[in-house]
Amino acid sequence: MNKPLPTANPASTAEAHVRWSAEYAAQLPGEREVRNRSGIAVKPLYTPLDVDASRYDADLGFPGEPPYTRGIYATMHRGRTWTQRQLIGLGTPRDYNARLLDILDKGATAVSLIPCNSVYRGFDMDQVYPELLGTCGVVANTADHMDACLAGVDLAKTSCSLNDPLPFTLLAFMLATAKRRGVDWRLVSGTSNQSDYISHYVANHMFFRLALPGSRRVLVDHVAWCNAHAPKWNPVSVVGQHMQQAGATPAEAMAFTLSTAIQYAGDCVAAGLAPDAFLPRFTFFFDISLSFFEEVAKFRAGRRIWQRVVRERFGARDPRSWRFKFHAQTSGVDLTRQQPLNNIARVTAQAIAGIFGGLQSLHTDAYDEVLSCPTQFGARIAVATQNILREEAHLTDVIDPLGGSYYVESLTDAMEARIAEVMDEVDAQGGMFAAVQSGWVQRRIGESARAFQARVESGEQTVVGVNKYAVEEDESARPALPRPDPALMQAHRDDFARWKEQRSQADADRALSALARAAQGSGNTFGAVVDAAAAGCTHGEICATLRRELGFGQPLVVV
Amino acid sequence: MDIRPKVLVTKIGLDGHDRGSRIVAAHLRDAGMEVVYTPPWQEIAAVVKLAQEEDVDVIGVSSLATDHLIVPRLMEALRAAGLSEVGVIVGGIVPDDDERALLDAGVARVFHPGTSLADIATYVRELAARSRAAKFAA
Amino acid sequence: MEKSSLTLLSADAVRRGDRAAIARAITALENEMPGAAALADALATEAGRAHVIGITGPPGAGKSTLIAALLAECTKRGRRIAVVAVDPSSPLSGGAVLGDRIRMSEQAAAENVFVRSLASRGHAGGLARTTRRIVDLLDAAGYDPVIVETVGAGQSEVAIAALADTCAVVCPPGLGDDVQAIKAGILEIADLLVVSKGDSALATATVRDLEGMLALRARRGGWKVPVLLTSAARGEGVAALLDAADAHAQACGRGRRLARPEPAPADERARTAALAARDAFARNCRIELVDAGAGHAEVAMTVGAEHLNFNGTCHGGALFALADTAFGLASNSHGRVAAGIEVHISYHAAAREGERLAARASEVSRTRRLATYRIEVRRGARGEGDLVASFTGTVYVTGRHHDSPDGEAPTRSSRRSP
Repeated sequence: MNKPLPTANPASTAEAHVRWSAEYAAQLPGEREVRNRSGIAVKPLYTPLDVDASRYDADLGFPGEPPYTRGIYATMHRGRTWTQRQLIGLGTPRDYNARLLDILDKGATAVSLIPCNSVYRGFDMDQVYPELLGTCGVVANTADHMDACLAGVDLAKTSCSLNDPLPFTLLAFMLATAKRRGVDWRLVSGTSNQSDYISHYVANHMFFRLALPGSRRVLVDHVAWCNAHAPKWNPVSVVGQHMQQAGATPAEAMAFTLSTAIQYAGDCVAAGLAPDAFLPRFTFFFDISLSFFEEVAKFRAGRRIWQRVVRERFGARDPRSWRFKFHAQTSGVDLTRQQPLNNIARVTAQAIAGIFGGLQSLHTDAYDEVLSCPTQFGARIAVATQNILREEAHLTDVIDPLGGSYYVESLTDAMEARIAEVMDEVDAQGGMFAAVQSGWVQRRIGESARAFQARVESGEQTVVGVNKYAVEEDESARPALPRPDPALMQAHRDDFARWKEQRSQADADRALSALARAAQGSGNTFGAVVDAAAAGCTHGEICATLRRELGFGQPLVVV
Repeated sequence: MDIRPKVLVTKIGLDGHDRGSRIVAAHLRDAGMEVVYTPPWQEIAAVVKLAQEEDVDVIGVSSLATDHLIVPRLMEALRAAGLSEVGVIVGGIVPDDDERALLDAGVARVFHPGTSLADIATYVRELAARSRAAKFAA
Repeated sequence: MEKSSLTLLSADAVRRGDRAAIARAITALENEMPGAAALADALATEAGRAHVIGITGPPGAGKSTLIAALLAECTKRGRRIAVVAVDPSSPLSGGAVLGDRIRMSEQAAAENVFVRSLASRGHAGGLARTTRRIVDLLDAAGYDPVIVETVGAGQSEVAIAALADTCAVVCPPGLGDDVQAIKAGILEIADLLVVSKGDSALATATVRDLEGMLALRARRGGWKVPVLLTSAARGEGVAALLDAADAHAQACGRGRRLARPEPAPADERARTAALAARDAFARNCRIELVDAGAGHAEVAMTVGAEHLNFNGTCHGGALFALADTAFGLASNSHGRVAAGIEVHISYHAAAREGERLAARASEVSRTRRLATYRIEVRRGARGEGDLVASFTGTVYVTGRHHDSPDGEAPTRSSRRSP
């Protein structure tokens, strides 16, 4: 039988704490205050005095039960570890497919697809400079291309995560592929990973920018359509990763993400959807920085706030609506070009923070991402890192292993308070949509980015190999970069041109007019996109049609 | 009398990650320079027209995701417009082989992640002075 | 053909509409470079054809977005249009982010459009003259209309009213402080009042409010100031705005600025330069003037062997001299003789031989008789480095004026020497 833990005597603990504090101050006089990236002061020691043991049930509880601080499922990583989802995308559909089958073979358990930046911008391959094609993602413009990308993948069984900003043409192409292969749409599972237009607008990342009101409409249509026709698909992934990569502190990133999710949920409710019909399909996507404990606390606090928000604000009754499911990616901003192999150590520390934070799905960055788009060698190490952490390091033996740490519990509370503060500020701005439209969020993130940069410049924040421990570079450690074979890319372009001439123009035109009518009226725009994809319309044509009907979003730039 | 450097900070191509270009633009302002700033995704022709009308001394192009590959096209377009005195720098993720190609195309310097803002400002000031001197050389 | 500055500063090339020549000439005017005044004179005689439209309003009113829509409308009507957009300079660093183009990038790319951004550089007087010369130049180059955009704050309204044939004041929708500001300052100069963001729910209420206010105001020269509702996002009201501007020019004429004398060339910058030129002590210390304007001045020196103390670092007296020179020039820049009565200096860091130091003086307060300045001495050619010394000083402003700054020495020493 286990020995009972000795109980602390508050009076003697407080007394001992005073003694220790005096000793500490005597040995480290004038020590500089330590603050984490979110600006929370961090003490040198945490003790029972920092936690209220009587609040265990209310604040922590058990895994799989509200407030989910310790995890959203009863079994967590004991029952099922995380989905190992490496984001990949390069070259032509055939290049992509070869790489995909390779990493599935090496242990990855789900599909992810990053399209070429030309796709993000809403263009077909014949609308951009050829040297930019396929350098950062796969050039997929039609249902045929998607079919080739996913050759050999069972769409009824494999979860597919598509980096597919609205109007979600890649999903439409995939659904057309499923139909051709006789796969029931109700079995298709995965996530529209770049559905969070607000985060794109904030971070100015990669997408073709429908005006904000148009984006708002298309996202709600997408949720409603998936709800009805592809119930295993997650139509909304709210992306805190963009916010944090753009410079938001971890607390700000969590707050802006939750406020964004509130905005989307509110929009769906306003469109007549029942909260419990769509909330179970909301997922989140976060960045994991190197600020280890801060990241663990960020995720634990986020779970706690979300379950409260969905119940209090939206009256969600289904526990599946309360669960804060998230994918996380190790932060590329923390990686350095100097001594790139050091990045393997950084990614490892980041990944552990995410695992201890209770993630459902993980992407580990390749160490060479900061040099170029990752090489196959770099990607393989990233996958191996996950395999080691999952199966060698015994990280998953215990659920929420940091739970009960005086520091982690205290920090979780402090992060929760800081996140809630920022969410209140967003509410005071009129909600996330209004706060982004006015540029308030962008300004705030820009300030945080500059403040962090100033800490690096001053040396207050160490970056190994950059502002400390710099060494003569070992050039051989820098990998050769992969670029798509220009001849293969040219062949892909030629094929596309030929295909366009041969397809039924009448069918495509009819589908595009139907899409335009849906946008002008009150029809479901995403349903029309799915029809257009099946009718042989290209990505660029679909995007151009919606851009014409719903307006082009001018980027709001704040310096 | 000393003349303030006039610098264009921009992004061409397809990618929109602008954290770097915003930080650099703000720092150059704080270092006393006059900075024309554009959103990402500028067309090369538009950048050339802007550089000409604003008579900038230096153009800083930020690139995160391989957009540096079309910088040689920008250099060519600047030359064709008679703007070869304008100094061009590139900042961001640029692999070594590509850096050599950019320098061959006439780019003055490539700044990689981890460069201090102070170093960038010092270099831009020097480059601007050289560019200004070349432009107004009789 | 090799383009030299001689061909680039050619009035003929500007008249031909050569874009490179126009741009280079503007740089020369902006920085008062040699040859600029002659060029301005050569072109001034041809000015007066263009319709000059001033656009002003509080920050965030949507001026740039509106101008973008006007550019599109003018392009549609086949006009060649130029925009001069003025952004504020940072009072601390002197730098600026010229962001007005951001909202116009698509329209500014059109062939018949010329956009130039200017930094205000902290001296309104000099800016007014420069802007006027640049407008004359764009006029002579055949642009019509020429739009001038300024931040709606302080002196720039007066300047724009003197410059523009038609002044459009842009008001964001909403009541309260914004409208108060408009009432207090810029309503008087408006020939057109524009309520932007017409898609917002508050816009029509704002139109009513402004019409109410106008009803209390006397008409000027028979022109009834219209209140126009625009939505640049939807492209609504923009054609009507251009029509109204045309109608105003028809009614009240073009080239209004030409009836006024050019702002005096004896501006603060030139005056300060003249003062600096005859400061023997500063010259002796190798202190050079870098920049100056109304109430501010920036000087610099390189620490030489002659500036060092027994510790081998820059002597406190030398740092004092540098800061004091900036103080003296800034306090005398307004044209009245000012004498220092009290100063305080703090030394924060040592400076070493070979380092370039800059001292920048800015006006903290100024009354009729007393003015206070803060001076920072920093490392770097433009003071971009860390702080070496900080200095606060107060002057007594006398009733005497400096002589014209074209070189004549004043009858008495312009300022005290300690």
